[in-house]
Amino acid sequence: MRWAWVLCGCLCLACGVRAEDEDSRGSLVRVRASIQPYDQFRPWQKKSPFGLNGTGVVLPGGKVLATAALVANRTEVGLEKPGSAEKCAAEVEAIDYEANLALLQPVDRNFLKGFSGVLLGPALRAGDKTEVWQLERNGEMLRNQAEILSAGVGRYPSDEAGFLVYGVRVSLPKRDDSYTLPLMKDGQLAGMMMGYDRDSQEGTAIPVPMIEHFLKDAADGKYEGFPTLGVSWSPLRDPNLREEVLAPKSGGLLLTRVNPRGTAGRAGLREGDVLISVDGFKLDEDGNYRDPLYGPTAVGNLIRTRPTVGSPAKFRISRGGKEMEMTGTYDRKAREEVAIPTLQFDQAPKYLVVGGLVFQELTGAYLQEWGDKWSERAPQRLVEYFTFQQDKRPDPEKKVVFLSQVLPSPITLGYQQLSGLVLLQLNGQEIKSLAELAKIVDSCRSGDLVFEFRDEPGKLILNAGELPASSEKIGKDYGLRELRRL
Amino acid sequence: MRETGFLGHSESFTKAELSSISAIWFTRFAEMIRFHFMKLRLLKSLLIVVLPLLGGCGKGDWQLGEAKKNVVMVEVTSQTWDYRLPWNPGTVSSARGAGFVIDRKRILTNAHVVSGARYLTVQREADPRKYQGKVLFVAHDCDLALLEVEDSEFFKGTSDLPIGGIPELESVVSVYGFPIGGDRLTVTRGVVSRIDYNSYTHSGRESHLAIQIDAAINPGNSGGPVMQNDKVVGVAFQGFRGDVAQNVGYMIPTPVIRRFLKDVEDGKYDHYVDIAIRWMALENPAMRGYYHRPNDGLGVVVTDIFSEGSSDGVLEKGDVLLSIDGHPIESDGSVRLDGQPVQLEEIVERKFTGDTVELEVWRNQKLEKKQITLRPAEMFSMYENLYEEPPRYVMYGGLVFQPLTANLMAGLVSGADLRLRQTYSLFGQDQLYKETPEPVILTTVLPDRSNVYIAGLTGQVVREINGKRIRTLADVLPALELGGERSVIRFEGDQRPAVLKKKEVDQVMPRIMTQYGISQPNRTELGSRRLAKGSYQQEGESR
Repeated sequence: MRWAWVLCGCLCLACGVRAEDEDSRGSLVRVRASIQPYDQFRPWQKKSPFGLNGTGVVLPGGKVLATAALVANRTEVGLEKPGSAEKCAAEVEAIDYEANLALLQPVDRNFLKGFSGVLLGPALRAGDKTEVWQLERNGEMLRNQAEILSAGVGRYPSDEAGFLVYGVRVSLPKRDDSYTLPLMKDGQLAGMMMGYDRDSQEGTAIPVPMIEHFLKDAADGKYEGFPTLGVSWSPLRDPNLREEVLAPKSGGLLLTRVNPRGTAGRAGLREGDVLISVDGFKLDEDGNYRDPLYGPTAVGNLIRTRPTVGSPAKFRISRGGKEMEMTGTYDRKAREEVAIPTLQFDQAPKYLVVGGLVFQELTGAYLQEWGDKWSERAPQRLVEYFTFQQDKRPDPEKKVVFLSQVLPSPITLGYQQLSGLVLLQLNGQEIKSLAELAKIVDSCRSGDLVFEFRDEPGKLILNAGELPASSEKIGKDYGLRELRRL
Repeated sequence: MRETGFLGHSESFTKAELSSISAIWFTRFAEMIRFHFMKLRLLKSLLIVVLPLLGGCGKGDWQLGEAKKNVVMVEVTSQTWDYRLPWNPGTVSSARGAGFVIDRKRILTNAHVVSGARYLTVQREADPRKYQGKVLFVAHDCDLALLEVEDSEFFKGTSDLPIGGIPELESVVSVYGFPIGGDRLTVTRGVVSRIDYNSYTHSGRESHLAIQIDAAINPGNSGGPVMQNDKVVGVAFQGFRGDVAQNVGYMIPTPVIRRFLKDVEDGKYDHYVDIAIRWMALENPAMRGYYHRPNDGLGVVVTDIFSEGSSDGVLEKGDVLLSIDGHPIESDGSVRLDGQPVQLEEIVERKFTGDTVELEVWRNQKLEKKQITLRPAEMFSMYENLYEEPPRYVMYGGLVFQPLTANLMAGLVSGADLRLRQTYSLFGQDQLYKETPEPVILTTVLPDRSNVYIAGLTGQVVREINGKRIRTLADVLPALELGGERSVIRFEGDQRPAVLKKKEVDQVMPRIMTQYGISQPNRTELGSRRLAKGSYQQEGESR
């Protein structure tokens, strides 16, 4: 028997294939994405395309798991088998930009036949040993030893709330297709790497509980996402503050803002309430609950990873010193039903050009186009609307339409320098969306178009009769095929 | 005997050329023989004959001679307050600038040379003696200051530098001062490059007429005169760094100087007045049609009127301004003054509190005449840099409350919180002063065991204390007295409140003051700062 093994081993060495490849052949596939985001400042065009290459995980059934960051703003996604370099295009079946996960389906359903796929492994804890798998150019696999440094709630690249995230220590050599890499434990999927710092040799990974939640949700073809609570809260360690809000003897966190459309708001929770427990899990003064696996963990994980949209929620609160039970349903309306959407990947920005005045709807993507310091660089009024919208704009149907720039034309003489102005009314009618603005503009054949803005200079006038000729000229001069996208 | 220097006499003769050496020599000589009147006259006549033979001939030398007599070096030791530790005396530093003699008893210089001065000396060219000086008036809004010197000996031998008008574009000017690179009177020369409104950076928010010249203006030139044809045409005061723009220096023109000197005649410097409106150039034809104005190239439209400003209650949004004090207003907002196009604000700039300005206004397709009584825009005082006055604050249990001002924003160590930055930048244009004339910020929490949980709230805007809405710093102390055994401080936004036990604070105050070297727990007097009155309901509070 032993001779047979040695022979196999020799044969494998002779072929330049290591014994471990028996496992990898069914697990990994290269994902090549061509990315081309829209230009938020020139919304009629896209920016230069570029490529991102990562390593996706093949799931049983022939679908591929990758991170959302790899395929956001894609024009094309392709899969390539590690050894043979066979290629196939892929579609994104489900994607969650907050949780940074994407499920890909090869266009040819049989493309990954013969790949066994990877099963989901266990959740890991700090101290656990694990591996990060990479692909060599010739299709061989590289298994890098890794260690979980931490498991707790942290910020994801494009999310504002926190999710469970692993801190990973691993020494990763430079290899192709490393934009995303799988975290493996005993041949099973433990997570997806989403960031790595070569200097400190530390990275972050999306833990398998998140992946499990994502895949389960995507299975029925209708992806709903991770629930949110829709509150701002503050720890209650200060004994004076505890006295003031009549908090119970110990534990609990103070709700400082409750979005009426969020899970908590719809369950009846209010600003000033002390949240004592969620679904039976008690919260301590720092806002942690006791997780069976992770120990004291931030409440974010309790709310986002455990329940699904539509599942029941139970809260115990203290209001004015009196304890009560409140019930509700988990959902994510507070995140989605907003006047100014945050994440705008894979969505073409809306715009309307009126005689040279370029109007857009305000989104987080527009502001982030100003770079990391956007809160200082972008027009301050727009930053104010975006950051403090929760206070001022409760109606999600009322979008923020603004003049983003003026394309100089004969009829915009004197207006060229204007930008970043929030539009309130046109001809006395309140403007709630770009579509509404277009309707009013289109219906005006003659007379003045009186635009009223939130800020200086207040009123701008255009002559409706001059619009058609001017629009044609602008289309020609500035190369705009379409003067609107609504 | 009449106390005049030599040149006072010589003005009745032709202005003789003096080489620099002979001028100095003569000044000393004249002083020596001052009491020998007859001899003086004899010697003078000799010298008048002799002197044209010495040195070169040309008008410039007379100007230079005057400059040498009247341009002084000002050395200042000043104290800059520390807004991060407002109870501290602040840092002490020294600087050097220039100035020149006015009325033979005062010195005109820049405000930024002497702001915060604790000790200053003045010195004349080639006279080793330094005389102690004192700041008489300082105008931070136009960067000018007037100094006096107690010892009148200093002014012996000085004369009056006449103040001229606005020099022509491209004409030559000479800048006199004591810039870096040496200790003697220095001359640089250039041409007038531009006459335009520009920001006076010392003030923090003001813009006035400023003349750009390409003569080198360097540190040490500040306050020195710029001269042309023997007259002062400006005071050198700011420039661009060499890596930003070259040969760009600015001088304060004579209308600003004259206004300053006239203003202080009553013994007090009053602020610049402001019509406190915003307007838009009426260039677009469709817009002109909307306001029923013909295409005559005239008029600007009023787009905003600041509450509590000079135009509040007089002008309305949509008014088209056609003329100001009889000067027609072009559609870009300019008027012709002394043949030069300047912004219409220049008319207002030259006036004083209580003066009026006449406007021809086109309103609802009718021509109307409006009169505005001018006053300063006090509600924007937040944006002006304060120099002499100590920072105001209230310290309570280690919590430090300070009013939001330009000085405070400049002193914030880490980038300020977004809400705070927005409150500051939108305060003027959103007229937030109507509700809150002076937003109060919790700037620091001096760590003490009694306030360990409050440190995370620094940089937040205070909304109310013990149920009382905080609208100015003066509201803080009375509000802290209200309520029961706890003081509850609430902030704008969704922050948790800061809660302190009053009894604990009383016990803790002496400890904190000793530990942090704070001699007085609060300083709230307004000093020269003026706040908006605000237009909110009083809710039965007493102010």
